[in-house]
Amino acid sequence: MKELDELNLPGDLYYTKDHEWALKEGDTIKVGISDYAQDQLGDIVFVELPEIGTQFERGDEFGTLESVKAVSEIYMPISGEIVDVNSELEDAPELLNEDPYDAWIVEVRPEDEDQYDELLSSNDYLEILKG
Amino acid sequence: MNDSVNLKKTVLHAYHVSRNANMASFGGYSMPLWYETGAKAEHLAVITAAGLFDTSHMAVITISGEGAFDLLQHSFTRDLNSCVGSSQAPLSKGRCVYGLFLETDGTVIDDAIVTELGAGRYMVVVNSGMGPVVSDHLRKLATAGVSITDHSDMIGKIDLQGPRSALIIEQVLDRPDAVLDGLSYFTCRGDIFGERGSDVTLGGSIPVLLSRSGYTGEFGFELFTALADTENVWRLILEAGEPFGITVCGLASRDSLRTGAMLPLSHQDIGNWKFGQTPWSFVLPKNGRGATFTKQFVGADSLLGEPDSYTYGFAGYDPRKIPVTESSRVVDADGSEIGIILTCTTDMAIDRVGDDRQRIVSVATPAAEGRPGDFRPRGLCCGFIKTNTPCRIGDKIKLVEGRRTLNVEIREDIRPNRTARCSMQRMRSKSEERETRA
Repeated sequence: MKELDELNLPGDLYYTKDHEWALKEGDTIKVGISDYAQDQLGDIVFVELPEIGTQFERGDEFGTLESVKAVSEIYMPISGEIVDVNSELEDAPELLNEDPYDAWIVEVRPEDEDQYDELLSSNDYLEILKG
Repeated sequence: MNDSVNLKKTVLHAYHVSRNANMASFGGYSMPLWYETGAKAEHLAVITAAGLFDTSHMAVITISGEGAFDLLQHSFTRDLNSCVGSSQAPLSKGRCVYGLFLETDGTVIDDAIVTELGAGRYMVVVNSGMGPVVSDHLRKLATAGVSITDHSDMIGKIDLQGPRSALIIEQVLDRPDAVLDGLSYFTCRGDIFGERGSDVTLGGSIPVLLSRSGYTGEFGFELFTALADTENVWRLILEAGEPFGITVCGLASRDSLRTGAMLPLSHQDIGNWKFGQTPWSFVLPKNGRGATFTKQFVGADSLLGEPDSYTYGFAGYDPRKIPVTESSRVVDADGSEIGIILTCTTDMAIDRVGDDRQRIVSVATPAAEGRPGDFRPRGLCCGFIKTNTPCRIGDKIKLVEGRRTLNVEIREDIRPNRTARCSMQRMRSKSEERETRA
């Protein structure tokens, strides 16, 4: 179990209180789970991904992660359409534990770019984790 | 992790914290769920090499004196006159037997392993936090002259499990040949309760009670030690095990290993409902075809006749689980609700193979028995269900929770090629060891 000061929370990413991260790359946004989330979940053994083309609202469940401990939902940080999924995770879900920032889960074309600016900075996210 | 101040700690707690274990509450104790290695690697290590578990949260009771045998005959489901091996021999010194303590209505107080330490002396190992409950229950049933001692939190317990356990334990045992020769499944040597000291020691002089048993389905040992010796025994085994790939394991892998091995968790798979037809019904002392029992015992009368519940093991087709909640249900092929889920976890060492994905193989399955050369298991969901109607082995059923539905199959067994019953001789032979490693 990592102490809070051992967590890797890159400053160029944006976060949600549900422990997803988001990163704008051109006109799309990559989404994954934070180091805190992967550490809390433990070994992730299965990832359920959405269909490409599906439209989600901010806060919608778009997939599930199966860890040794539990079944956990993953939530959309922003509204938009799934334009790509990281299908590598289907055969190698452990990539999410090994490097949660390299192992993006979905790529989203945002409906409203302003929502991106409403996400948490790494400092704000860390403050929430501190409780 | 912020452990509640009310949680008890085992004598190895400082070690777990120093290794950054993910700690959680279990049975009133702060226990490691997994270490930095992760539960999957820990699960696999026990099947392919060896794992070391702190199980000091388990409760140990000793019973002695004239009437100790009669007390166990009256309170424990196994008939101690006929419970050992296929010949149904009586329990004898150094033999262990698994069974249940029941209420008169046939509900389960706890499961236990009873070991005969010597004439009229027994060790009873029950679950975390159950020492006071079971010893109070036994005191109410005991006749004068029976001494019942609850050793909860006074004994350290360490489980060394996995095919390389013998190769590791022989490094630390004093006189390993004398201790290990003939130490078959469910037998033990040594004694940490008697006045004469233990005839089994390790590390030069540390007395231990060494039992060839465990809760993983794999070959291995449970070691009982005085509290003051536990950290030393732990460290000695870890050091000796390093060249053999020993991995420190938490309760998450213990749970997934025991589930794949079809072993029940007390108060989850058996508990405060009438003991029905289960994979563990061998604990009842059935007479012949089972219409009567070979002895009278607490709970016996309510268990004669038709069972009112049926418990089965199951395995799914991928690693997905169903959360076990108030609303999770078991549904048959026709869509009728037939029961509830007791345990649902993922055995990460197994997967289904073949074009029809019917056959289950494990990382321990020899290639000659069907393990594909490129076998990389994703794991299979597995566990236990309790139904109100009998099912057949092979039946396809559904587990439902919220929007999630999983198709699973009723199984007689889950993880194949387990090593718990492999012979000591085979497990101590290094050439054999090389084969299993390959």
